[in-house]
Amino acid sequence: MCKPDQYHSLYKHHFLSPELRDLLRNARSAVIQVSDRLRRFSLDPIMARLVLSLITLLILQSVWVTIAFESKHVEEFSEELLLKPLPDRKVLAHFHFENRAPPSNSHGRHHHLFPKAISQLVQKFRVKEMELSFTQGRWNHEHWGGFDPLSSMNAKPVGVELWAEFDVPQSQVDTSWKNLTHALSGLFCASINFLESSTSYAAPTWGFGVNSDKLRYGSLPREAVCTENLTPWLKLLPCRDRDGISALMNRPSVYRGFYHSQRLHLSTVESGEEGLGSGIMLEQTLTVVLQPDSISGEANIQPSWSLSSLFGRNIVGRCVLAKSSNVYLQLEGLPSHELKNVDPETEADKFWKNAEFELSLKPDRILREINSFLYMFDIDKSSDREPFDLGLTWKLPSKWSCQQAPLHSTRFLMGSGNERGAIAILLKATESQEKLSGEDLTNGRCTIKANIFQIFPWYVKVYYHTLQIFVDQQQKPGSEVLKKINVSPSTDKVSSGMMEMMLELPCEVKSAAISIEYDKGFLHIDEYPPDANQGFDIPSALISFPNHHASLDFKEELSKSPLLSKFKEKSLVRSYTEVLLVPLTTPDFSMPYNVITITCTVFALYFGSLLNVLRRRIGEEERYLKSQAGKRTGKLKQLLSRLKAKIRGRPIEEAPSSSTESQTEVQSSVFSSKLLFKIILVAGAAAAWQYFSTDK
Amino acid sequence: MKILLLVMLLFYSFASSSGDTTIHTNNWAVLVCTSRFWFNYRHMANTLSLYRTVKRLGIPDERIILMLADDMACNARNEYPAQVFNNENHKLNLYGDNVEVDYRGYEVTVENFLRVLTGRHENAVPRSKRLLSDEGSHILLYMTGHGGDEFLKFQDAEELQSHDLADAVKQMKEKRRFKELMIMVDTCQAATLFNQLQSPGVLAIGSSLKGENSYSHHLDSDIGVSVVDRFTYYTLAFFERLNIYDNASLNSLFRSYDPRLLMSTAYYRTDLYEPHLEEVPVTNFFGSVMETIHTDSAYKAFSSRISNSKINSEDDHKEDFQNANIPNDDVKTEKQKCPYTQMRADLHEKLKKLENTDTMVNLGIAVMILVVMVSSSLL
Repeated sequence: MCKPDQYHSLYKHHFLSPELRDLLRNARSAVIQVSDRLRRFSLDPIMARLVLSLITLLILQSVWVTIAFESKHVEEFSEELLLKPLPDRKVLAHFHFENRAPPSNSHGRHHHLFPKAISQLVQKFRVKEMELSFTQGRWNHEHWGGFDPLSSMNAKPVGVELWAEFDVPQSQVDTSWKNLTHALSGLFCASINFLESSTSYAAPTWGFGVNSDKLRYGSLPREAVCTENLTPWLKLLPCRDRDGISALMNRPSVYRGFYHSQRLHLSTVESGEEGLGSGIMLEQTLTVVLQPDSISGEANIQPSWSLSSLFGRNIVGRCVLAKSSNVYLQLEGLPSHELKNVDPETEADKFWKNAEFELSLKPDRILREINSFLYMFDIDKSSDREPFDLGLTWKLPSKWSCQQAPLHSTRFLMGSGNERGAIAILLKATESQEKLSGEDLTNGRCTIKANIFQIFPWYVKVYYHTLQIFVDQQQKPGSEVLKKINVSPSTDKVSSGMMEMMLELPCEVKSAAISIEYDKGFLHIDEYPPDANQGFDIPSALISFPNHHASLDFKEELSKSPLLSKFKEKSLVRSYTEVLLVPLTTPDFSMPYNVITITCTVFALYFGSLLNVLRRRIGEEERYLKSQAGKRTGKLKQLLSRLKAKIRGRPIEEAPSSSTESQTEVQSSVFSSKLLFKIILVAGAAAAWQYFSTDK
Repeated sequence: MKILLLVMLLFYSFASSSGDTTIHTNNWAVLVCTSRFWFNYRHMANTLSLYRTVKRLGIPDERIILMLADDMACNARNEYPAQVFNNENHKLNLYGDNVEVDYRGYEVTVENFLRVLTGRHENAVPRSKRLLSDEGSHILLYMTGHGGDEFLKFQDAEELQSHDLADAVKQMKEKRRFKELMIMVDTCQAATLFNQLQSPGVLAIGSSLKGENSYSHHLDSDIGVSVVDRFTYYTLAFFERLNIYDNASLNSLFRSYDPRLLMSTAYYRTDLYEPHLEEVPVTNFFGSVMETIHTDSAYKAFSSRISNSKINSEDDHKEDFQNANIPNDDVKTEKQKCPYTQMRADLHEKLKKLENTDTMVNLGIAVMILVVMVSSSLL
């Protein structure tokens, strides 16, 4: 049911805008006026026609110019796919879709390509920038890269991560956030609405990388990610998953992968013009790491693959609504060494068909980068008969490594028991550290800056005074390493805690560790999730390196590709740590019931018997009963005793069955004095009523 | 006098809103899987099978509220990622490309379930997560999970009791959120869950009687767990033979349950449901087949009672035709059918004729006083 209510016409209709129509009308009337005037002046008819045609030409040209101007303000969509073999015999596929809506002045405007659901979201909640990601699996920074734009943008924490910046007054940010989470949960079939409670989100100031006081950040580490999240995401695309590159997304093969991260990033672009609103840029990416089925027996040779073997599907044509639809293949490391000396003019074939590997299709263009080659393919030519099925066959064993972030980060728990523990973040130097150029020379010292941003749930009560920093296994005072720290402590059941810190480490550092102690809180019985015994999650910490930026540096002039221009921009190097699982004390949930029943029983037994012992006087009771029996010599009793005597007398004569005896006994008990009294009372009331009513 | 008039007016407004006068407007389905954990795979498969069936029979996704308590499709234990099967032959993937889950995981709670039924949501909750039915809606409520005597467990942590369900249904009736409601439950002792229901227009089917268990159908050794429950399996077996145009009645569905195959006794409660089950097609609840009303005039405020006929049978078509030709006739025949409506119509007419209502009310009071006098003197 989570359906964005929008329909895309498959073919773009170019209606003339009202301004344009007015212009044409004016032009026509101007032509008529001029011709009238010319006739009045009784000029030579040939001359007049000449002048007329000249004027029409001029007007037409001006119209043409306005049309050309309008095309700048047209919605654009592009689809791209980047494939990249990874050193550990896996293949990365990165889908990138970009959709731009131009600025417009009206609110209820018509969209050709841009999803209406998203533009409504932006307008209603006044979102300035937003990013939502659904991820399963953990990005392997060592083998899949940690210092390239792809990993710094698409390596996301497990589960759902959402951050948004709003364009509303400070006091309304929290309500906007709350409403946004609900809207997104409806749109993407996920429980994003759990982020609405103030215990699950935080407002980072500088540690997140975006400096704004209207930013909110939250993540749900345990959120499941599956088909139902991908489907609404695909429905935002003009061609859905029917045509073009997105047709590759066969659900079982996507979710069989080692890592999949589905991301949606939207930002508003201020037009700068007066009266115009802001344009929206929607970027949708899906990153999957897949394991190709290796057919070759040799263990050293990288597995060969093709699109159809990876996804079980082919590309059979581009999405006709897309401005550009390209497939890129990025080869890193070793292959480029030998190809560096090849002349691209004369030996173009060697780039894609050589002793080491072979591509199944001829690339349309080859782009060179410092560490890698990028083969570009246009999928225009593919059709039903000739599907685009790019394949890569390795012939020789090859080995290469990916660029690493300056420091590799891991996070773990220390301590034991259900009472307290400690969280440690370990930063280890990677091999590529020396080569990096991002070091900052302050006071003649070479340093690496690292930002750590971390949210703690309230039930993990962190003691910030226990913060310890070790550099190369030696404890350092905070003032020496810690440049900046911002802490907002948690409040029980009200808000989560947040920690931002900036470390400045010497360049030659081998390892740095931070540890901080915490106490485990107690939850109310209603606050435990159904599977409380599994433990509770502490969301991933974000480690970013503010002085290191990753980008791809192409030698060739780039065509207008949103994906490549995104890669060319400098992006902050960042990595997320593992999610931690903290076991909290969980009660036996049937315990309250057991306790209540047992204590009640014990109390009843104890007090009952105590009361009996203390208050009951058996001798007096018997005396009292006897005296009562003596007093009660009513007619009924006598009648009853006579009846009893009769019954007892009869058995000798008729021997009635025991059943009749019991019946009479029951009867006698029914005709008790109380019942008789009641009947008399009712009869009396009826008589009184009759008396009074007749009196009237 | 004014009060009396008001009371009468109120009575009439209630009477006019009662089920038989509103037209069937749309179909909704609320499908709930209440069980967490991998070994309860079959409950999710049950729910998804029903989801597929009602979608196939014409209820669109925006009118289905699907609640799944756990993620089985992309569970780490699932050998077939993003796929859920309800049969070991693996022919049918229930978790296709177009599944839309509205409530999942920790969101599936008794609170949320009752909120969906009664429509009491926070303002921020999106439309896709609400049951936006109206007084002409037919709702199918399917629930599966682990249950017992008058309760159904949610996520192994809390219970929905038969009283809660009855209260919610009552509230729905009062808020005019449905015309007809069918509750189908596949749990142990499912019949006990309907004990407290009182609202008219409710039809209930349970998989087992009190004291009986509801068993799973078969085990899939590839997946490692049972994949479907018996009651749901045989329900699906019935529906797989049908398409959207079939006219199979609810009675034929109920008769299709064989206690020997089910290993429990399917129970259905019909005392709150007026129409005869032989005449009600299953697509009334499991599909979305709207009645077409043929009118000769361009637009006319139509009476709902004209459209009681089924679409498919030819005889009914003929009748419709005749009715259309002689518009007054059908009203008369309808009048003869139901004495209550006839009486009411007569009363309406007389009321309209009366100009001086005050005298009528005065007369009424006088009559009442007389009656009281007579009765008291008799005493």
